[in-house]
Amino acid sequence: MKRYARSQNKKKNATTPKHNASFQIKIGTNLDENVDSVKKMLDEPDDLIVRELSIGTDHQKAAIVYIKGMVDHKLVQDNILKTILEKEPEADIDLSDYFYQEIIAISDIKKVKTLDDVSLAILSGSTALYIDQTDTVLLMGTAGGEHRAIEEPQSERLIRGPRAGFIENIGTNVSLIRQDIKDPNLRFKTHEIGRRSKQKLVVSYIDGIVNPDLVQEINRRLQSIDTEYAVGSGEVEHWIQDSFLSPFPQLGDTERPDRAVDALLKGKVVILVDGTPFVLIAPMTLVETLHSLEDNSQRWIVGTSLRLLRFLSAFIAIFLPSVYIALISFHPEMLPAKLLFSIAASREGVPFPAFIEAMLMAITFEILHEAGVRLPKIIGATIGIVGGLVIGESAVSAGIVSPFLVIITALTAIASFATPQYSMAISFRLIRFTFMIAAATLGLYGIILVYIMINIHLVNLKSFGVPYSTPFGPLLLKDWKEMIIRAPIMMLTKRPSYLKTMDKTKRDPSNE
Amino acid sequence: MNKLKQSNETIQDLDIMIAIPSVVIAIGFLYMPRVLAEPTIGLDAIYTILLGGVITILLTWLGVSLAIHFPGQSFVTYASKLVSKPIAVALALLFALHGILITCFEVRAIAEISHLYLFNRTPIEVIGLAFLLVVIYAVAGSRVAIFRLNALFFPVILVAIFILAVFSLGFTDATNAYPFFQTDLNGYSFATLRSISTIGGFGVFGYVLFYVSLIRSPKKTPKMAMYGVILVILLHLIIFTMTLLVFGNITTSNLMFPVIELARAIELPGGFFNRFDSLFFVVWTMAIFNTTVMTYDLAVIVFQSVFKNAKKEKLVFLLAPIIFFISGLPKNTYELDYSGRMLSYFGITLATGVTLLLFVLHKVRGVK
Repeated sequence: MKRYARSQNKKKNATTPKHNASFQIKIGTNLDENVDSVKKMLDEPDDLIVRELSIGTDHQKAAIVYIKGMVDHKLVQDNILKTILEKEPEADIDLSDYFYQEIIAISDIKKVKTLDDVSLAILSGSTALYIDQTDTVLLMGTAGGEHRAIEEPQSERLIRGPRAGFIENIGTNVSLIRQDIKDPNLRFKTHEIGRRSKQKLVVSYIDGIVNPDLVQEINRRLQSIDTEYAVGSGEVEHWIQDSFLSPFPQLGDTERPDRAVDALLKGKVVILVDGTPFVLIAPMTLVETLHSLEDNSQRWIVGTSLRLLRFLSAFIAIFLPSVYIALISFHPEMLPAKLLFSIAASREGVPFPAFIEAMLMAITFEILHEAGVRLPKIIGATIGIVGGLVIGESAVSAGIVSPFLVIITALTAIASFATPQYSMAISFRLIRFTFMIAAATLGLYGIILVYIMINIHLVNLKSFGVPYSTPFGPLLLKDWKEMIIRAPIMMLTKRPSYLKTMDKTKRDPSNE
Repeated sequence: MNKLKQSNETIQDLDIMIAIPSVVIAIGFLYMPRVLAEPTIGLDAIYTILLGGVITILLTWLGVSLAIHFPGQSFVTYASKLVSKPIAVALALLFALHGILITCFEVRAIAEISHLYLFNRTPIEVIGLAFLLVVIYAVAGSRVAIFRLNALFFPVILVAIFILAVFSLGFTDATNAYPFFQTDLNGYSFATLRSISTIGGFGVFGYVLFYVSLIRSPKKTPKMAMYGVILVILLHLIIFTMTLLVFGNITTSNLMFPVIELARAIELPGGFFNRFDSLFFVVWTMAIFNTTVMTYDLAVIVFQSVFKNAKKEKLVFLLAPIIFFISGLPKNTYELDYSGRMLSYFGITLATGVTLLLFVLHKVRGVK
């Protein structure tokens, strides 16, 4: 492992200087040559627009360069092209300074001198203004292009809560968070990831609440990312997570701005990645994946009950089929006589042992689920009907599975959907199979051994220095009222203690 | 290492409070009513539980209040200052031997009991090996994680004991408590010794000498450790009383595992689970697991402090086959029982002797 890391380092050191040299080309003073060099670099694509102009009475040559579709067309037309053509500058002045300070009505404007900067800016949607006889290029932030409107998030729905969700545009996402927290201490630190994609990545936190060590650690890990293109926030998550062998997601992800804001106020760090509506929340613990913001909007008794219900359903989703296998094949005496008889009667004619029977149903269900997710909505309904028939009616009447197992499979499936975080729900579904195999080999004893093993993994697993099994082990009873139950809002005066925040209390200190 | 990590990577006072009952309560607890009912008459053994409990509290307190004087030092380091280094190493190795033997005993015992109550076709070696492998996985992880595991499982064990006690209430027979104070002095002293043995968990209370000194900033550790032992005493009192009131003295002293039999005797309302004993034993696996991990880890701690350059994983993996081999040595349950008794005398003598010796030396010499 170490040797691998070292060799990777060596490679990196070897390539970087060459890499820099090839891009640090200075811009010359001849307009035609300059424009040609940009064209050549991008291999003259159709959507690269070069509009040549002549300015003023002495017909100074100039050109604006941008990529169609990446810019806001109206902005380029009205604020750049029109204003430049209308002006008649006096002779013998530095045109680039003149445009920079007086003419162009775009706030985000800067001067650069290398081809590298220019090409990168054009590719990210800026417009470049070349002027003949100067080696300075003006870059104007005209990034526009098409993006989706703000909609209700598809993956995390609430009954009572805001309907806004993040979109693919990182600027919009940042502003969605800013709209909710008007605190001058709210920080957005920008990184750039992806050697080819040059995606923007923003680390957000509230200075004064967050533990500075956490921010430092996250920034350190983000700098270690070495990829060409990060496919959404998932790939970023995999680069910076603690253990790649774990079946559990070690960062939270959400499409909901309110959830991100809630995490920020707890003292966590939110990572936004360009090109995906899913932002990452770090650190994360196991129980928090079972939280929903709905708990906070409902009254505390309802909120607590719903949360406990979700814990229960997580257990059902993991254990139910394996307990069925263990009870049927190893410990039938544990069931009451009546229930045992009715199960035995329903299993009459089923040719398989309980394990094969349960596996058959579980895998069928997983296939149906996977097919249903990928299909368009209209066909998805068909899958539902077909699946319902296969699972429910035909399999039973054909005598392949018992009706009792159909109930178990259905209950397990429903319970696994009660987990609010999808990435966690998948992990639960996966772990279920391990339990089923254990139950088939050693019965209840096997189940408890695997359960202990998973617990060993959980207590050793960390998410950015925070034990994943918090607040059960380390036992932090004071965090229970926010993490296990949802105590009345007046009692939640402290931020979660496991995050070791700078500002420990949520209340106004002057009121205490 | 940054602050966030560090504060989560040290053992706290509260951990010790949970660890003591977690490590003490294991196999011994399951047959505790038998060994206490044997030499006594009626409910008389509860006095010996109290007496033995007070003695255990005292010994634990001595051990803890000695160890908190040396925060962040290993047993070998601070014991070398009190007795010379060779003796310190020898004492530590004796503890390691005790830890290894207890681990072997628990592995074998859980295999035997599973064989008895859960499945009788699966070979004992397979059951024991599966358990040992899970224990190895836990010991190979970080030490603080073991304390977290204790915190994770102990509440479950408490709930299991609570359910057992509450639902056996309906099966109690008050006449089983009579007669009072009929035990002779010999019986009392014998039962007191056995109480110390079971409340002290075969002498594992001596392990505080090793673990408490790992706490960086001990504040209320002696108090917390005392609470831990008090909890153990309470659990012993409750379960002993319940078992005796349900079965009577004669039956209890003839049952192999009276606590599991108690779980078999009771019925849960609604009758969904017919045999609570299987379920109880499955939960009890966690209790036995907690103990086994700690005793195994103690042996690893000792070897780590004696062989400073050895890697932890190597020590863990080297010990594993030895433990599995020794756990296979007893020929039958009678021999296993006998070895458990010998182990407990060895443990109590060792823990008491070392605690008293080091405490007195520390007071006399006043080493800082």
